[in-house]
Amino acid sequence: MALDVEPRVTQGSMPSQARRGPALLWVVALLAGTAALVRVADPSSLPWLRNLLIVFGSLLVEAMPFILLGATVSALIEVLVPSSAFARIALLPRGLQVPAAAVAGVAFPVCECGSVPVARRLAAKGLAPSAAVTFMLAAPIVNPVVVASTFVAYRGRDTLWVMVLGRLALGFLVAMTVGWVMGRIRSGELLRARMGETATSDRGPAEGRWRRFFSHLAGDAVFMTRFLIVGAALAATIQTFVPRSIVDSVASLPILSLVAMMALAFVMSLCSESDAFVAASFTAFGPASQLAFLVFGPMVDLKLTALYMGTYRRGFVRAVVIAAGTTTLVATLWIQVIWG
Amino acid sequence: MRRTFSGSRVATGLALGAWAGLFWFLLVSDRTSLYLSSRTAWLVPLGAVIASIATLGRLATARVLHPEPLGARETWLLGAMVLPVVVLLALPPATLGSFAVDRRSSASGIGSSARVVSGQIDLVDIAAARAVVDAESALRARAGERVTIEGFVTEEPGEADRFQLTRFVITCCVADATISYVTVVDAPPGGFETDEWVRVTGPIYPLGSDILVQAESIERIDAPDEPYLTP
Repeated sequence: MALDVEPRVTQGSMPSQARRGPALLWVVALLAGTAALVRVADPSSLPWLRNLLIVFGSLLVEAMPFILLGATVSALIEVLVPSSAFARIALLPRGLQVPAAAVAGVAFPVCECGSVPVARRLAAKGLAPSAAVTFMLAAPIVNPVVVASTFVAYRGRDTLWVMVLGRLALGFLVAMTVGWVMGRIRSGELLRARMGETATSDRGPAEGRWRRFFSHLAGDAVFMTRFLIVGAALAATIQTFVPRSIVDSVASLPILSLVAMMALAFVMSLCSESDAFVAASFTAFGPASQLAFLVFGPMVDLKLTALYMGTYRRGFVRAVVIAAGTTTLVATLWIQVIWG
Repeated sequence: MRRTFSGSRVATGLALGAWAGLFWFLLVSDRTSLYLSSRTAWLVPLGAVIASIATLGRLATARVLHPEPLGARETWLLGAMVLPVVVLLALPPATLGSFAVDRRSSASGIGSSARVVSGQIDLVDIAAARAVVDAESALRARAGERVTIEGFVTEEPGEADRFQLTRFVITCCVADATISYVTVVDAPPGGFETDEWVRVTGPIYPLGSDILVQAESIERIDAPDEPYLTP
């Protein structure tokens, strides 16, 4: 069953003109006031504000096209792929659905922000929640662009293949483990309901299909953007006010280095297509710590958590964070024992 | 039945249009390099095109049989979505400076993965030399060679006649910025202020992890069009 993203105003919930008018005026005034404040405050004379706004802006400018791309793919899936296609996948044995979803991630070369709306759409179209989540977690790590960027980042180092193959293998392993952990969850327990969501038919006439395409594209893009903004603001705030020396000193503790690198990945909220270059710059850390950074970050970080909270039910998000964190930690501990 | 404009759909279209406008603005005003590296600059035209199509499509399909009014909650949420656009449009051109240096790692990993030292030496080569033995050897072999390096001034505490010449290296966006620097010696004491952009010319001397440039000339310059280096 497909879900329409358009808000349907039910009887009794329609806002009055009196409430709508002031809200619009307040919003316009807020936007105009903010523009004036940014000009008057002159961020160039306030280094912390300049740093905050530049990092915040760069995260948004980089991630927003992926959100739009993901929303486009999501809308195409909604309009062009019938629910019966996913019903066939759902007929596969449960043990095969999860690995199949992880492998499907190889064919989706966008970073983590784009995979969230697609996974949401897949789940809404009837794909088993465990498979949808596996796809969402695996795609940002196992796709060819990320594999290539990891290769380039570690080119010329002794640990090149440990990092490239280790990241690929751990990406599959952690995503599938989380998928299996979520195995018994039902569709209704996965997604947060959006205001006024209603069921629609799968296929319609050509005009209706375009109308639905743009409806879903706009709905998904707007929905995801607000959570991206929250995540980017948090990441920029932490990058601005927490000195790197503090983070580095925590990360250098031998036993806690894995957890510290995972925490760092969570805070930095980097794109999976660029994080290998940052991980490679932590030369004081062994391959296990760097793998923890590279595997956990694309699955769980500040901006993603905000996106997850808006997309999925709270208990489910908590379970994903715990399962992904635990599996990454245990797997990288073994790698630390073997490779250091 | 007659179709009429839906306030909710028009407002959503305008919010998407604001983002499309931001991407087009970055493209036309050549400000992409303030946020993204040259490797990821293609994201801006991509964002501009998709956001424009989404906007036009949304507005073109905004006439419906049963129009949804724009509620107060939705108005605030769309306002929050447009707020970053307003901030970035109002923000004068600005780059990371010395404030961010303490909050960033050195660019050794990026430099090492990018290239060995060859051709005109720049701060990416310096980063490579700090991380990779081959690159360090290549740079050492060129000790005493005259170089010209641009960057901004960061302080070298307790040393009046020297400062660090720093540049940020970014791979995708400014959030992944790391630092690369050389120590400039024989500078006029107190002659340059923190965050000032300068062009330094002089012989380079790699001394292990400490890489010095003996200043023959130091010239004040405007911040370059591409303030961040990309490996």
